[in-house]
Amino acid sequence: MCAAENARVTRLVGQSMPTLEAADKATGRVEYMGDITVPNMAHAKIVRSPFAHATIVSIDAIDARALPGVVCVFTRDELAADPDIQPIYGFVYRDAPVVATDKVRHEGDIVAIVVAETEAIAEQAVELVDVEYDELPSVMDVEAALADNAPHVHEEFFPIAPELNPVPGTNICHQAQIKKGDIDAGFAEADFIYEDSYSAPPVQHAALDRHAMISHVESNAITVWTNCQSPFPLQRELQRIFGMPARVIVPYVGGGFGSKSRDRIEVVITAAAKLARRPVRYVMTQEETFQTFIRPAYSAWIKTGVKRDGTIVARHHVFTVDVGAYAISGARSANNTLKVATGPYKIPNAVVDCYAVYTNKPPSAPYRGLPTTQHTMSYESQFDRIAKDLGIDRLELRRRNLVHEGDIHLTGDWLRNAHTHECLDQVTEAISWDKPLLQPPGGKIVRGRGVSSTIKYTLTPPREMSENSAEIALGEDGIFEARFGTVNIGQGSDTTMAQITGDALGVGLDLLRLVHSDTGRTPVDSSTTASRSTYHMGNALVDAADKLTQQIRETASLMLERNAAQLVISDEGISVPGQPGQGLSFEEFVRRSGGPVAATGECLVGGTYKAPDGKEYPIASTFWTFASCAAEVEVDTETGQVRLVKAAASATTGTAINPHSIETQLEGGVGQELGPTLFEQMVWNNDGQLINPTLMDYPLPTMQTMPQYEPRFVEHPFDGGPFGAKGMGEIGAVVVPGAVLNAVADATGVMLHEVPLLPHKVLEALDAQSGAQA
Amino acid sequence: MNVQSTINGQAQARDVEAPVTLLEFIRDHLGLKGTKEYCHSGICGACTVLLDGNAVSACSLLAIQADGHEVLTVEGLGTSDDMHPIQQAFVDNFGLQCGYCTPGMVLLTKSLLDENPDPSREEIIRYMGGNICRCTGYAGIFVSVEAAAAALRAK
Repeated sequence: MCAAENARVTRLVGQSMPTLEAADKATGRVEYMGDITVPNMAHAKIVRSPFAHATIVSIDAIDARALPGVVCVFTRDELAADPDIQPIYGFVYRDAPVVATDKVRHEGDIVAIVVAETEAIAEQAVELVDVEYDELPSVMDVEAALADNAPHVHEEFFPIAPELNPVPGTNICHQAQIKKGDIDAGFAEADFIYEDSYSAPPVQHAALDRHAMISHVESNAITVWTNCQSPFPLQRELQRIFGMPARVIVPYVGGGFGSKSRDRIEVVITAAAKLARRPVRYVMTQEETFQTFIRPAYSAWIKTGVKRDGTIVARHHVFTVDVGAYAISGARSANNTLKVATGPYKIPNAVVDCYAVYTNKPPSAPYRGLPTTQHTMSYESQFDRIAKDLGIDRLELRRRNLVHEGDIHLTGDWLRNAHTHECLDQVTEAISWDKPLLQPPGGKIVRGRGVSSTIKYTLTPPREMSENSAEIALGEDGIFEARFGTVNIGQGSDTTMAQITGDALGVGLDLLRLVHSDTGRTPVDSSTTASRSTYHMGNALVDAADKLTQQIRETASLMLERNAAQLVISDEGISVPGQPGQGLSFEEFVRRSGGPVAATGECLVGGTYKAPDGKEYPIASTFWTFASCAAEVEVDTETGQVRLVKAAASATTGTAINPHSIETQLEGGVGQELGPTLFEQMVWNNDGQLINPTLMDYPLPTMQTMPQYEPRFVEHPFDGGPFGAKGMGEIGAVVVPGAVLNAVADATGVMLHEVPLLPHKVLEALDAQSGAQA
Repeated sequence: MNVQSTINGQAQARDVEAPVTLLEFIRDHLGLKGTKEYCHSGICGACTVLLDGNAVSACSLLAIQADGHEVLTVEGLGTSDDMHPIQQAFVDNFGLQCGYCTPGMVLLTKSLLDENPDPSREEIIRYMGGNICRCTGYAGIFVSVEAAAAALRAK
C-alpha cells in the first residue's frame, strides 16, 4: 500500500474531468455487448417456465430440432448425457441447475436453450419445444415460505460461502445474528420502548444494456464475452463447471446496478455453445431481464429502547430478505448488511437477526446498496417517530446518537473517517433547513422535509488477503499500459484509474493506455460491486506504479550512472534535475532495457486495525462510507401524489479523485432510488406470474420526476485509500427512502411504514388519520 | 421488399422482409450499431432516431415506413474528433455515464432544439421526459440540453 501520500504530487487527482470515453459514447462509437459479433456465430433463445413452481413431466424437442436452421437444443437430457459438465452452479450458493432437471422454481426459470442460425429461427423453435409441467403449490412471499407445511423451493442446501447457514427442512437458506453488549440490560435501562415494522417490495434494476453474451467453446478452452460485473468469479465458475480454462472478456457495460453481479446465463449458454460447437450469442429481451434478477422484497421489525433524553440504549432489528428461487446472491447480500443494520449510531446494546428465505420469485441480486437502503429507511423512519414522541428536534436526536471517529461499531470496528455530523450539516444546509418551509395556500398541497443518515460497508474478507491486483507495463512505444479488472459500467472507473495511475507514476494521460476487465489480459479482481473499485483497484494501481517507478529508477541509474533517488520520472521521461539532456526518453529506456518492463501491484485488505489507542480492532469493512440525505416533498392531499422537490445527498468520499464525477454519482443514486421510493414495484399474481413485466406497466423515473439535486461530498482524506479516496458509488441511493418517508410524515402528520408511496396508499393513510381524529 | 432511404445523408437501398423494424434495418442491415435497443416497445427511447427531422422510436416502426424518407442516426451527427455541439455539450456537462441512452438522448435533444431553439425549463423537461436514463438522475442531461441550446444559438 502507498506509504508516503504527502510526498505525492497530484496533477490529475482532484480534477473534475469528463470520462475518457465520453466522446465515443456521445457519438455512439462505444461497443456494448449487444453490438459485438464474432465469425460463424449462432443465436440462442431460452425456453422458460410459465409456472412459478412445477415438476417437469416431459420435454419434447423433436419438432424444434427438425426446424430448418436450428443447430441444437440443450435440455436436461443433453446435460445428463455430458459427464464433463458439472450440473449445478453458483459461486455463493450452489443451487442452480445448468438447465431445470426435475422441476422449475420461478416464472422464467430456464428449461432449455435453442440454438439456431438466426434469432428469428431460434424464437420460432422455442415455440416448438413441448414441455409438460405438473404444477406445484408455490410460495410467493416470505410469509408464505415461512408458514408451517409450506412447500419447499429446494429440498437440499449447498452453501459455498463459509458464512452461510441454512436451516434444513425450511425455506430459510441463511440465518445469522450479530450482537453487541447486553440487549436485555439495555431494554431494562430504557425509559421508552418503540416497536415498528417496515417493508419494501421487489423492484427491477432496469439497466438499459440488457444482459447479453457470446460463448465459444473450443476443444480445450472457453471464451466468453459478457456484460457481467464479476468476470473473475465467473471465470472460476466456468472452469469448475466445464473442466477447462476459460477467458472472460467484458466490454463497456451499459449499467448494472447489481443485476449483472452474479452468474445466471453464462454457464447456461456455454453449455449450449459446447453442444453447438460454434460461438453462440444470446441477448435477453427486456422482459427476460425482469425474470432474471430482481431486487428482493424486504421486511423488518425494529424494537428500540430510548432514555428520556433521547439516548438510544438498545436495539433489536429482525429482517427478512426474499432471495427468490436461487440464492445465487441474495443470501450473502443479506448477511453482509448485518454489519450496518443499526446505522451510524452509538447503540451500546444491539441484536440483529437476518433471515434469507427462498420463494418462487426470480432470483434476487444486489441493487445499489441493498438491503442497506431498506435498513436505513426502517431505522430512520423510526427515529422520527421517537423524536416526535419525546418532543426532541429530529436533527438534535440524531446528533445525540450519531457516531464519531473512534466509536466502536456493532462489529467491534474502530470507526474511521466517520464524519457523520458533517454529512448531516451539509444536507440540511443545502436545503435551507433552518428557514421555515412556506406552505402553499389552500391546504391541498402540503410540503414537508425529512432527513436520513446511513453507514455502508464494502466487501471485506474475513482474513488478511489481496482480492485484486493490477499491472502496469511500460512498452516499446513509451506508453504505460495499465491493466485492471474493474468493469467500466458507467461509473467512470477508467478515468478514475487513469487519474490515480498517472499521478502515481508522475505522468500525464497522454502517456497512459488502459486495458480493462479481461481475465486473459488483466490480473485478478473480485468484482465491480459494493463501491469497492476506487479503493481496491486504485490501491493496486498505486502499488504497481510504485514498484514500476522504483524498478525504472534502479535500472536507469545504471544506464545513466546516477543515484536512483536523484532520477525524476515525468512526461519527458527519466531525467536528472538540473542537468538537461542527461536523461532518457521512455522509448530509449525500454530499448536499452531489452524490452517492456512491468510490475504488478496488490491491495491487501482484512486483518486488524491498530487504533491510536494502541489496541487492535477487527476490520469488518475495509472502509465505511457515511452519508445523509435531506429531502423536501410536496404531497397532494386530494390525489395522494407525492413529489420529491429537493434532494440533498452527502457522503464521506475521502479524497475526491474526480469531484464532479462524484457529484453525478450522488445525483444518479438519488434519481434512481426515487423510483422505488415513490412508484416502482414488481407485482406477482397468486399463480406466481409477474403482472407488470414491461415498461408499459412498470414506470421508471423520467426527467419529469427529477428533483432539484444538491450533491455534497465530505472530503477528508482516508488513510489507506489511494490518494486518500474511498468508495461511494451506491451511497446516494441508500439514503433516499428514509428521508422521503420522513418528509411525507412531516408534511402530512402520517407516518407510512412501506414504500413505494403510491397515491392510493398515501390517501388511505390520510383517510385513516382523519378518521381517527374525527 | 425494397427500402430506399436517405440514411445520414447517403442514399441506401436494401431488400428486407416485411416484418423488419426500422431498428433492425439500421442495426443489422446497415450495421449502424450506435442506435440502441432496450424495451422494444417504444417507451425507453434508447432507439430514438430522427425521421425527416422528427424523433421516433425505431423499434416501433417498420423499415418500410422509412422508404422514401430521411433518417438521421447518431453516426450522422458527429464523430469523436468532430462532435456536433449537442454531443459536445453532453460530454462537457457530464450528461452521460454508461452512455447507453446517450445516442437517443442526443437525437431527442436535436429534435427539440430544431423545433424550439430557446426552450424553457418546463419545455425541456416535458420533451426530454420521453427518454429513459438509469444512471444520471437526468441532472447532467438537463444541463447538457441547456448548454447545447445556448451553444447552437450562439452559432
